[in-house]
Amino acid sequence: MKANLPPVAVHNVHKTYRRGGIATPVLQGVNLVVGHGRCAVLTGPSGSGKSTLLSILGTMLSPDQGSVRIAGHDLGRLDAAARTRLRRELIGFVFQRFELLRGLSALDNVAVPLALRRMPQRAAQKRAAEALAAVGLADKLHSHPRHLSAGQCQRVALARALAGEPELILADEPTASLDEQHGLELMGLLRRLTAEQGRTAVIVTHDPRILRFADVVYRLAHGRLETAERPRASLISAAEEVLT
Amino acid sequence: MGWIAVKTLVADRGKLATALVGLVFSLVLVNVQGGLFLGLLGKASLLVDRAGADIWVGHKAMHNVDFPHAIPSRWVARLRSLPGVQRAEPYTIGWATMTLPSGGFEPVVVVGSDPASLLGSAWNIREGSPGALRHNDGIVVDECDDHKLEHPAVGDLREIGGRKARVVAKSRGIVGFLISPYVFTTLDRAAEYLRLPHGVCSYYLVQVKPGFSVDEVSQAIRHRTPQLDVYARHEYARISIQFWMTRTGLGISFGAATLLGLAVGLVMVAQTLYASVLDRLGEFGTLKALGAEEWQVYQILFTQALALAGGGSLIGLVAVAAIRHWFHSYRAPIVIPLWLSLGSCLLLLAIALVSSLLPYLRVRRLDPVMVLQG
Repeated sequence: MKANLPPVAVHNVHKTYRRGGIATPVLQGVNLVVGHGRCAVLTGPSGSGKSTLLSILGTMLSPDQGSVRIAGHDLGRLDAAARTRLRRELIGFVFQRFELLRGLSALDNVAVPLALRRMPQRAAQKRAAEALAAVGLADKLHSHPRHLSAGQCQRVALARALAGEPELILADEPTASLDEQHGLELMGLLRRLTAEQGRTAVIVTHDPRILRFADVVYRLAHGRLETAERPRASLISAAEEVLT
Repeated sequence: MGWIAVKTLVADRGKLATALVGLVFSLVLVNVQGGLFLGLLGKASLLVDRAGADIWVGHKAMHNVDFPHAIPSRWVARLRSLPGVQRAEPYTIGWATMTLPSGGFEPVVVVGSDPASLLGSAWNIREGSPGALRHNDGIVVDECDDHKLEHPAVGDLREIGGRKARVVAKSRGIVGFLISPYVFTTLDRAAEYLRLPHGVCSYYLVQVKPGFSVDEVSQAIRHRTPQLDVYARHEYARISIQFWMTRTGLGISFGAATLLGLAVGLVMVAQTLYASVLDRLGEFGTLKALGAEEWQVYQILFTQALALAGGGSLIGLVAVAAIRHWFHSYRAPIVIPLWLSLGSCLLLLAIALVSSLLPYLRVRRLDPVMVLQG
């Protein structure tokens, strides 16, 4: 990470999809800065561009206009291979449908991003085991996704995102596949671990129950961001409240 | 990355089994078809390979060991006087009819060799003695032809070309390319059975003195007897094999069946790998979203193909060994040299690698953003 630069800095980003000759603007001049250790929640109605913005932050999509810096790296100056490398080294993902590899155990699933970084299998599994212990799944190391509940699967996915000690966690509707109790537990866990490890998180959600875990909440509407700050004290207490 | 590839491959047992069946099928087919083919070819040159002669001399344009033309026996003396020739003996091969005790008859290939040296006579004797050929009317027949010759025992009498023949020994495994049994005897008796005119034979069998090269002696024989063809053992074996290959289309039919097997294997493996990848397209998208590079994705597919080829080869070779154990016989020998087994394993590897390219092309087009945008 480049010193003192915010993990996420988005300036005047535009994105338009074109299908069948019809242009649909999705992002229109979006500006966003998320500082170190902060947890930003992006919310808004379906089709408002949340996933598109998350895809751009995840280096999987390029904006039509504007600049995006992740941990100080200007994505506009990086080629596809460098963007892939940056995604692998600096970003951890939590997906809505967990996206675990069915054939692999929880331990191996968490070790995958480390293996992609060419970490030897044994070392990757050691670190994966620690990550799984941190999310309370020390006794499920060798369980396969089909033998885990939805809540456990999402905790495996969270461990996978954190195992590589990334600068930035991007979470796409992380509680959408979970019931209320498991959703709150997951968010509490995510918030606590990112706070402990000093990670920055950007979370896309429809779920109003998890807004209280955010340092800052952004609402996307008509391709533009509206900000609603929250006091930090309230969210720490929210996390503690859920976890206790 | 290798362990991810192997674990995900093994996790999908149904598809793994289907792909393995395809590969094993290909390997077994190549080895067994190839082994039968080589076994058959070996029979086509059996006499040449086993007669013990370094050089075969015969009529001009000789093209098959079992179908010779007569040459004068007396010319053999010209060869014996050449430096480098340790031994040169006349040798007779011809067709006759054996009358059987039941009143039936069987065409046989009579092979007559010099009674002193017995060069080119029967080998692998299981009953009686090869030297007993020197006794009156002595012949050697093979156990494998028992059924055709109505189970002759040592001491039993038969009739060949209207002459008496007594079985004095029995060999095992001398089964030629043709369906007719070989009957070994001496030169003179062979001439009687075959009703040959006096003073002719089919070949001269030549053994080369130590220290002389076969090429050098062959050249000297050609110079001395320009009316005749002269071939080193391996050359005449090749010519005899070539005769059957070109005149019967044997190579084409065996080759076509083997290619068909390979094609089936290729299709099965390609289809299975492709279906497996399609089934896990989302997982490949996840890997790309997590930062997998193109070469890492291909490495996974490549490793899976490699593992399939390795597993398929191992199981296939065991199956081939079992088939060979149970079905190999002197009549239908399955000859599987090391190069055939190794070659077929390499072929399997090539099939698996080619098969992995197709799904790779599909995965390559995959946009990781699909994971976030459903």
